Amino acid sequence: MTATPLDVSTARTEDGSTRLTICGEIDMTNSARLAEAISSASAPVLLDFAAVEYLDSAGLAVLFAQADRIELVANRMLLPVLTVSGLTELISVREAPAG
Amino acid sequence: MRAVDWAATPLGAVGDWPQSLRTAVGILLSSRFPMWMAWGPQLTFFCNDAYRRDTLGHKYPWALGRPASQVWAEIWDDIGPRIETVLTTGRATWDEALLLFLERSGYQEETYHTFSYSPLRDESGTAVGMLCVVSEDTTRVISERRMATLRDLGSDFSIVRTQQELLTFTSRQLDRNRWDLPFTLTYLIDGTTARLAGSTGVRTGHPAAAPAIALGGPDQVWPVATGVDDQLVDLNSPRYAELPAGVWPLPPAQAMIVPLLRHGGAAYGFIVAGLNRYRPLDDGYRSFLELVAGHVATGIASARSYQAQQRRAEELAELDRAKTVFFSNISHEFRTPLTLIMGPIEDLRRHPDTGPAVRAELDVIHRNGLRLGKLVNSLLDFSRLEAGRMQASYEPVDLAAVTADLASIFRSAVEKAGLRLVVDCPPLGRPVHLDRGMWEKVILNLLSNALKFTFDGSVTVTVRGSGDHAVVEVTDTGIGVAAEEIPRLFERFHRIENARSRSNEGSGIGLALVKELVALHGGTIVADSTEGEGTRFTISIPFGSGHLPAAALTAATSAAGPSVAAEPYVQEALRWGPGHLSAESVSAAEQATPLLTPQLSRPASVLIADDNADMRDYLARLLTAAGYHVSTAVDGRQALAQARATPPELIISDVMMPQLDGMQLLKALRADPRTEAVPVVLLSARAEQEASIEGLHAGADDYLIKPFAAAELLARVRANVELARTRNHHARWRTALIDSLQEAFFVCDGDGAVIEINTAFTDILGYGPQGLPYQPTHPWWPDADTDPHAHHEVATAFDTLLHDARGSYTIPVVHRQGHRVWVNATFNKAQDPDSGRTVTVGTFRDVTAEHHAIQRDSAIAALNVRLTQAADLAHAATGALTELQRIWRGAQAWGVVFRAATPPAVTGADGAPLDWAQLPEDHRDAITALRDGPNLTATASGADRAGIRLEHPHGTMVIWLDLGPDRPFAEHDRLLLSLLAASLAQGLARAHQIDQQRETALALQRAILGPAQLPHGFAVRYEPAATPLEVGGDWYDTIALPDGRIGIVVGDCVGRGLPAAAVMGQLRSACRALLLQDPSPARTLMAMDHFAAATTGAVCTTVFCGVLDPRTGHLTYASAGHPPGIIAHRDGRTDLLDGGRSLPLAAAPGRIRGQAEHVMPARATMMLYTDGLVERRRRPLDQGIASATTTLHEGRDADVDQLATHVMDQLTPEGGFEDDVAFLVYRHPGPLQMTFPADAGQLAPVRSALRDWLRRCELPGDTAHGVLLAAGEACANAIEHGHRDNPGEPIELRAEAFADRLRLVVADTGRWKSPTPNPARGRGVGLMRTMMQHVNINSGSAGTTVDMYARIP
Repeated sequence: MTATPLDVSTARTEDGSTRLTICGEIDMTNSARLAEAISSASAPVLLDFAAVEYLDSAGLAVLFAQADRIELVANRMLLPVLTVSGLTELISVREAPAG
Repeated sequence: MRAVDWAATPLGAVGDWPQSLRTAVGILLSSRFPMWMAWGPQLTFFCNDAYRRDTLGHKYPWALGRPASQVWAEIWDDIGPRIETVLTTGRATWDEALLLFLERSGYQEETYHTFSYSPLRDESGTAVGMLCVVSEDTTRVISERRMATLRDLGSDFSIVRTQQELLTFTSRQLDRNRWDLPFTLTYLIDGTTARLAGSTGVRTGHPAAAPAIALGGPDQVWPVATGVDDQLVDLNSPRYAELPAGVWPLPPAQAMIVPLLRHGGAAYGFIVAGLNRYRPLDDGYRSFLELVAGHVATGIASARSYQAQQRRAEELAELDRAKTVFFSNISHEFRTPLTLIMGPIEDLRRHPDTGPAVRAELDVIHRNGLRLGKLVNSLLDFSRLEAGRMQASYEPVDLAAVTADLASIFRSAVEKAGLRLVVDCPPLGRPVHLDRGMWEKVILNLLSNALKFTFDGSVTVTVRGSGDHAVVEVTDTGIGVAAEEIPRLFERFHRIENARSRSNEGSGIGLALVKELVALHGGTIVADSTEGEGTRFTISIPFGSGHLPAAALTAATSAAGPSVAAEPYVQEALRWGPGHLSAESVSAAEQATPLLTPQLSRPASVLIADDNADMRDYLARLLTAAGYHVSTAVDGRQALAQARATPPELIISDVMMPQLDGMQLLKALRADPRTEAVPVVLLSARAEQEASIEGLHAGADDYLIKPFAAAELLARVRANVELARTRNHHARWRTALIDSLQEAFFVCDGDGAVIEINTAFTDILGYGPQGLPYQPTHPWWPDADTDPHAHHEVATAFDTLLHDARGSYTIPVVHRQGHRVWVNATFNKAQDPDSGRTVTVGTFRDVTAEHHAIQRDSAIAALNVRLTQAADLAHAATGALTELQRIWRGAQAWGVVFRAATPPAVTGADGAPLDWAQLPEDHRDAITALRDGPNLTATASGADRAGIRLEHPHGTMVIWLDLGPDRPFAEHDRLLLSLLAASLAQGLARAHQIDQQRETALALQRAILGPAQLPHGFAVRYEPAATPLEVGGDWYDTIALPDGRIGIVVGDCVGRGLPAAAVMGQLRSACRALLLQDPSPARTLMAMDHFAAATTGAVCTTVFCGVLDPRTGHLTYASAGHPPGIIAHRDGRTDLLDGGRSLPLAAAPGRIRGQAEHVMPARATMMLYTDGLVERRRRPLDQGIASATTTLHEGRDADVDQLATHVMDQLTPEGGFEDDVAFLVYRHPGPLQMTFPADAGQLAPVRSALRDWLRRCELPGDTAHGVLLAAGEACANAIEHGHRDNPGEPIELRAEAFADRLRLVVADTGRWKSPTPNPARGRGVGLMRTMMQHVNINSGSAGTTVDMYARIP
């Protein structure tokens, strides 16, 4: 199975949290990778989805599973999905600045 | 009381009774008024002697001391509640004449009691008993009841006339008393049988109510003995079972038979009366029954006596009628022979050949004839006076003048007798009401009488007024009348014997008649006379009209001279004179003048109507000799028919004729405009008719009373003819004018009856003036049953004639001889100047020939239309048959085609094939004969069939018409059928040719029209022309160009049918090749110019040629004279592709063509079409384009194929397109369609393609992402669930954009697991539903399809 390409870069911030910057589309082929990246990072994990163009229910499932350890920055396009799935009620979601 | 063992009762021993009881009992016993009382808990019974005697009867002494409820057990239901009320409320009751059935005499007895119950109280004031004070009313009630019946029976015999009425009346009365008479049967004896004549209380047919009883016969229902005694019958035998009970619970136990006695004779009959079993048959009851029978018997006697009187009166009246009829007939019998005697004698006397001796004899006959006539008239006057039929008509007249005139008639006779006539009649100054005819008789009789008995001296007539009377005196100086004779002077048939007189003749009725006539005028006449000195008759008549019957008064008529009635009187009187012969002989001058009156300027026609052959011949002879054209009729009906057919100038008619008498004839003549002006002279003989003629005077122009003189008749005839000629000059001119018209002429009255016609009318329709008036429905109307259509046409036209002021119509009517005539009529309303009535005057002409010519033309035109409209040969044939059936209304038309080696093919107008063998044999024979006959020669076969042979593309055809009964096949039908068959043969040949062409063309067109596979997003349609169904030169094409663009061509080459289709095929191929070679629309069309110029039939083809980039919607196009394409934007705007336009192909070969660019926005729809889609007769092209645009917008949310169907549905005209139509629809972008293996690795590339397509759809970002997400989830589901066990199976995704929405379908071939094991996937479905407006997941054995719609904001 060819996985959909996904770039993950990890950064440590001054306050000890982890910032995971994701770039690409998240679907069933690469959601496991996302999960792994989140698990291996030390909490709290700030997920930067500003450059994520697609997030489907497989990706959402990963986020729900790790909800207690993550915060999210997402672009405008993803906001409806995050809202209707109810994720915004569990974790902090911020809108990424346009650009 | 003392015998009762009171101790045994609840009240105990008497000694223990309370004071209150003792007191009550004391009152009871001491009263002589009937009383009883009840006391204590059981209501112990006490009563006094009076009660015991009147009411208790044999219940004494048993009743005393017993409970009241036992004593009066039989009426306890009635009285128990009353006693209860008294005890509980303490209030007294009161009942008056209450019916109680008591058993005090050993049977149940009808009794009536008036009583009051009052409470009895004990010492504590409690009501413990009751006291009843009774008075019995039985005798009073029953007596009153019986009296009422007797009174009613005797009440109203005055209105009862017949026996039947009497019986009905008595039955009604007896039935009202069903107490005493539960039932009654009244029998009347007729010989030895008694017949039931009335009954009450018992139904008809009951065994006891036997309709007849044989008197003295054995075993009769009622054992009737003849005699005067009543009989009692016991009704306990079975034959009296179920007798009615009247008002009682049980029927009578006995009946009484009471005779209906007649004074001095046998009984009329008897009454059987059922007896009230609740009353004893005592004297009262018995005498009641006898009185009832007496009443009935009296009634019968009176009814029978009345009837007998009635019968006698009727017999007398009948006798009187017979006498009158006798007199009337006698008059007729006398008068007609008298005329026939007097007429010829008159002729003979005047004849020059008659010698003096013969003439003298003839004079005697003549004189006596006159006398006889006078006598008859006088007798008839009496008979009319007696019968009250002397119908006088009183008019105000100048009595003096009239009387003087009458007197002067006698002057010559008086003077010849050597006497003086003194007339002293000065004007009275006021009129006297007289009947002129009667007055003549009065004066003439008196003068005649005076002359007769006067030998010297004078006769004087004076008139003067005296108070309110006019007095007329006729005085003579004659022999006078003895005093004792004077009282009898006016007695009828009384003659004074041995009086000297000028003549012994005399009937003794003259003066009697005078007296009667004067009396009719309300006047008196007296005579006073002195024997030997003379006699004076004095008539006194009141002025005014108050003494006369108002109905007999009339206005003054012109003062006519004395009538012919005077003649006999004068003639007779002259005879008495000395030289009496001179007056009677016909003078020389008279002899020289024949009886014939001077000739009329031209002979007149006279019609004589008389049933008496002698009289008819006599009159005919007389009038013919006088130069008239005479025709005769034997009765009124014949006369009327003759007069209507040829109106004569005068009609002489007897009054009394069989069939139609003179009066009726006159009435009929006057009612008919053709004869109303013909003068009529009536001849009358009958007495009562003379009177009625007066009233008729307005209708008859003249009348003569038989006997009449020939000269008089001739004079009157001539006068009337001349008068009528003067009067009718104008009318005859009009008639001549109308008859000279070549058009038929008619006049209708307000009801539509034809009352006048001319000769042409008769010529055209066969109906002559004899039949007038023709009442609607006129006889020339077509029959409503056999020819309803024509009948309806005529009825409609008739309506306009009745209601419109003017009009014109052409209608089919039926000639008297039965053939059809078409007439064109014009009518106008007009006012009849005489009557003021509105009439309709019309003319019409025979347009049958023209009608048939027009019918032929229109029939052929209609047939040709049918043939042109027919899509093929078969339709042409059935269309023609339908048309034939329409032309020959009601006919059955068949076409039979004979072709070698196959059985004859039979078709009806409905197109359904028929079996040749099923046709009736005579039809088959006739059809076969036609087949073997000549072409196009219509032949009638039998009375109502016809056929014709013609060429058919498949062989020989016979058209066969079964016209139906009473539909003869006329000459014009033959001509028409032949012409139609010729047209049909041509039409069939043409249809056949077209059939062949079209078949080829369709095959060709199917082969060459458009590509088999269309690019995504395109839909196309082609429709051949419908009328006639025909292929054409329209086409469309799409070409996949090497660079991914699409070439689009829509073209239309000139012409239709096969040639056009062939040219189109070539052009299409050429265009396709050129575009592939060089995808430039302008250059392609320029090359096409050259190609078309070299191709026959291709010049002026119009073409739209475009190149579309389906990714961008960019379109380059050029148009060679083609209508502009339409682009419907999603926002409702419209672009027309009207750039790049130039001339049609080959119109100017070599000329440079330009091209235009256009970018289709996302979700816009383009339509390219040929002009057949938008072109309509009488409609501008831009209107057609606008309407096509509208339909295009309407289909904004349909896929392109549905849209094409919608456009076709909306734009197809009724009856189909006149020209062929091609069109092409494209919506940008075309749908995305992908098939990929079920592999998660495919998800990203699928998303990428979809994202790209969605961008082309120009969706808002959120919507696009939502669609992308939904599609991703659906695909993931398909991969994960649908094909978990078979990875790599295909998944299909299809996305299609409409103007306002988007459809997404993802289909796999596997099965989803349910329930969903993976919560994440469950979330996926939720996401789909959130992102899309409508999600439908349809899972079946063949796979799962997710069908989703998104609305595009």
